[in-house]
Amino acid sequence: MTLGLYKVQTSPNIRTNCPEIPMQPLIDLEEVADLLITKQLTFGEEIVRVDATGVSVGPRGGTPRLHIPLTSIKSARTEALVGGAKLEVRTKDQGTIAVAAFTAQAAPRFSELARGIEQLAKGEPLNIKLAFEQIRCTTCGRRLPEKDGRCPACVKRGQVFRRILGYLGPYKVATTLVIGSSILMTSIETFARPFLTRTLTDDVLARIGSPRAIPDLLVCVGALFGAMLIATALQWFKNYNSSYLSANVAKDLRGDIYSALEHLQMSFFDKKQVGGIVSRVTQDTDRVWGFLIDGVPYLLTGSFTIVGALIAGALLSWKLALAILLPVPFVGIIGSFIWKPMASKYHKVGQKWGRLHTQLNESLSGIRVVKAFVREDGEWNKFSKRNGELAMSGMVADRWWYRSEAVVNLFIGTAPLINWGYGGYLVITGEIGFGTLMAMQILLWQVYGPLQWFGQVNQWFSRAMAGAERVFEVVDAQPETYDQPDAIKLPVLKGDVKFTDVRFGYDKSNPVLKGINLEIKAGEMIGLVGRSGAGKSTTMNLLCRFYEVDSGTLTVDGIDVKDIALEDLRKHIGIVLQEPFLFNGTIAENIAYGKPGASIEDVIAAARAACAHEFIVQKPDGYDTQVGEKGSRLSGGERQRVSIARAILNNPRILILDEATSSVDVETEKRIQQAIGNLTAGRTTFAIAHRLSTLRNADRLVVLEKGQIVEQGTHTELMDKKGVFYKLVETQKQTSKALAEDVAFADADAAVEGEAE
Amino acid sequence: MEEKWMTPTTSIESTSVTPADIHLWFEPSHTLRSVIKGAWCPLKTQLFVSSPLSYPDKFITLLDGKSEEIAFVNHISELSADSRTVAEEAVRQRYLTSKVSRITGLRNDFGITYWHVDTDRGHRDFVVQSLSESCVWLSDTHILIVDADGCRFEIEDRLALDAQSRALLDTVL
Repeated sequence: MTLGLYKVQTSPNIRTNCPEIPMQPLIDLEEVADLLITKQLTFGEEIVRVDATGVSVGPRGGTPRLHIPLTSIKSARTEALVGGAKLEVRTKDQGTIAVAAFTAQAAPRFSELARGIEQLAKGEPLNIKLAFEQIRCTTCGRRLPEKDGRCPACVKRGQVFRRILGYLGPYKVATTLVIGSSILMTSIETFARPFLTRTLTDDVLARIGSPRAIPDLLVCVGALFGAMLIATALQWFKNYNSSYLSANVAKDLRGDIYSALEHLQMSFFDKKQVGGIVSRVTQDTDRVWGFLIDGVPYLLTGSFTIVGALIAGALLSWKLALAILLPVPFVGIIGSFIWKPMASKYHKVGQKWGRLHTQLNESLSGIRVVKAFVREDGEWNKFSKRNGELAMSGMVADRWWYRSEAVVNLFIGTAPLINWGYGGYLVITGEIGFGTLMAMQILLWQVYGPLQWFGQVNQWFSRAMAGAERVFEVVDAQPETYDQPDAIKLPVLKGDVKFTDVRFGYDKSNPVLKGINLEIKAGEMIGLVGRSGAGKSTTMNLLCRFYEVDSGTLTVDGIDVKDIALEDLRKHIGIVLQEPFLFNGTIAENIAYGKPGASIEDVIAAARAACAHEFIVQKPDGYDTQVGEKGSRLSGGERQRVSIARAILNNPRILILDEATSSVDVETEKRIQQAIGNLTAGRTTFAIAHRLSTLRNADRLVVLEKGQIVEQGTHTELMDKKGVFYKLVETQKQTSKALAEDVAFADADAAVEGEAE
Repeated sequence: MEEKWMTPTTSIESTSVTPADIHLWFEPSHTLRSVIKGAWCPLKTQLFVSSPLSYPDKFITLLDGKSEEIAFVNHISELSADSRTVAEEAVRQRYLTSKVSRITGLRNDFGITYWHVDTDRGHRDFVVQSLSESCVWLSDTHILIVDADGCRFEIEDRLALDAQSRALLDTVL
């Protein structure tokens, strides 16, 4: 049947259920689509195969259900869907055919495959990246949290633990002192106190009326007092060194992760939430050093204590020692059952805290909006709900804890009973003295004290290892290639830029730039024009090498940007953004951000060129004015002019103005335009602007649409052409006119109302 | 009538289009087509659900290839029987979110959760790196989970799940 503009019919070229398709050995690409397009998009497996004859789809090893010859293909692409995508092939005679559907898991590879199909259909050499990606752990078969990532379940904990221990390396003396003092302290607790107690009871208190009784009593009490003093001193000494260790290890860990973060590729930050990254620097490092400084000594001390107590117990009375250990297996078993659900319950409390924190943060940050829309009650309700959830989860976790604690205590509580019962029997039958019974009573608590917490150590250890993994994931992540050994140094740059068939997508299944070809001469001013999402800012992101091109080349002065030392490349590029980001500090510090050693004279000269000097000097503290967090104490126009001054001071050869004047009023814009005029002179400039009138001075305008260049030329040429640019200008004119009329009407109404009053 | 549909005209103001004016079909399969008021046949038709998680069968928007509105339908049931079937299929094709009917396994190791679920699209195993970042509570009982790859799984009503699934879910959420 005919569909308006073209005919739809079953093409003789497109075979369905074709029995045999001869394969060419040279090209043979294969991808697995994990949704069955023929079975209402249920999960399954279908093989999409591309060879020199065309594209075929079907079950693995079975007869293809569809074959499209390469000769009939015009183009291929993946259409992004919600949570996945589909591969579509546009044919010369049958329109668009949906070839296969797949989840987001397979989408990036299909995007590459689509490019490959297109290249083959056009007779171009195949140039795609279809690298093998590991999605399951080769050891345990679990799905990996990230493609080609590490399996947390198979992480060699010993290896990670040794790496963590490596952070103690620079502090060997302090570490030895902490461990040594812990061992000494334990020895005093497990040997000195029980044996002195036994001596005091059996040898001193039992000798009523003996002349040596009082002096011996004083000696024993003095010895106990001495042991207490030494233990206290050792405790203080251990904590003193621990605090030194914890402060320094935490500092080193945070330093390592922050340094790694600063040099990571932008794509890392795209995938992760800032909050999540911050938590790695704070919470995860805390978990690691917390375990290292508190957990490891605790584990050591606890182990020493138990072993020491058992030895001491055996020396005192092996029979009684064995008897009081009877509840140990029960306490151990119960402990192992308790801790995992307990951790999960307290983890939930942490989640609820996070939700409450977010809500509180949001409503207080946006308090103006809350008040302006009279939404205080609404915000209160949200807070109240989350507050209630937190209270409930806290209560559930605490109740679980108290119930578990009661059960554990019940079993632990039987140990003293055994001691009194069986120990008492041994005393009565004269097998042991009363002092031994008293000494065993002290030892008993030294065994059960650490034991009831030992179950927790595994959780503690697991959490620390998980935290360490997250920390090391950042530390080990692929950094930007700042210091490639063969990177070309570019102390001087002319400013020629050339894009050759550049393709790129943040999400590989959804390309943003689809073959950009553009050559810019040094000193030229290019206006980049197009609707939102056309690819203007993305083009500039590639020039700054925040991201690397998926295919094609991008050169500066004839050198591929990938081969230029990154630091040199970025030193020569200045950026003025729509929302300039200022750091908390003075105006002078912000202007000199890119050139830390700049003199105040240079800073002032840059500010004058940016038309910022006048407003700065009128501030009470002039250039020493604190701009506040993100520059919040300056107006939008002021922030913008400071950011222009920052770019001027850096003296870049290539300048990017990304909507630099769109968020300011007309008067400020005039000042900023003047500043930009000073800034662009003699530099290769890329200006992105929605207000097309601001691009009149550009040497050339480049119009982008859906990731492709659709028009190029001067303002006049493009207006005469009456194409895409002309339409954009006309639309904008009409909108501005309508707005101006609205404003005029409003002003007139206000005037009439004013007169009436 | 059939022939009239096939005649392309200039676009029609979307506000004047009623559900009865819309005829939808797939041609070739999986490519959505539309004819409006039996007269306008846009080259490309895209179907969107305005609020797919809150109102999955309401407020249907049809856009053309330039992302301009062709029509707006308050409820999918207002379409003719044939078009409704097509629209439902188009929704299923665009929104690949799987509805979880049963959780067969769920464990939390080192802050990463491993899920084994039965869904309306079949069985699936997936991994979520950080539940606090990847789990959205749409209401007290309605949950959206986005896995490490960006695949989406929806639990429409956690209380309606079987007891074992609820118990497993309670261990992590």
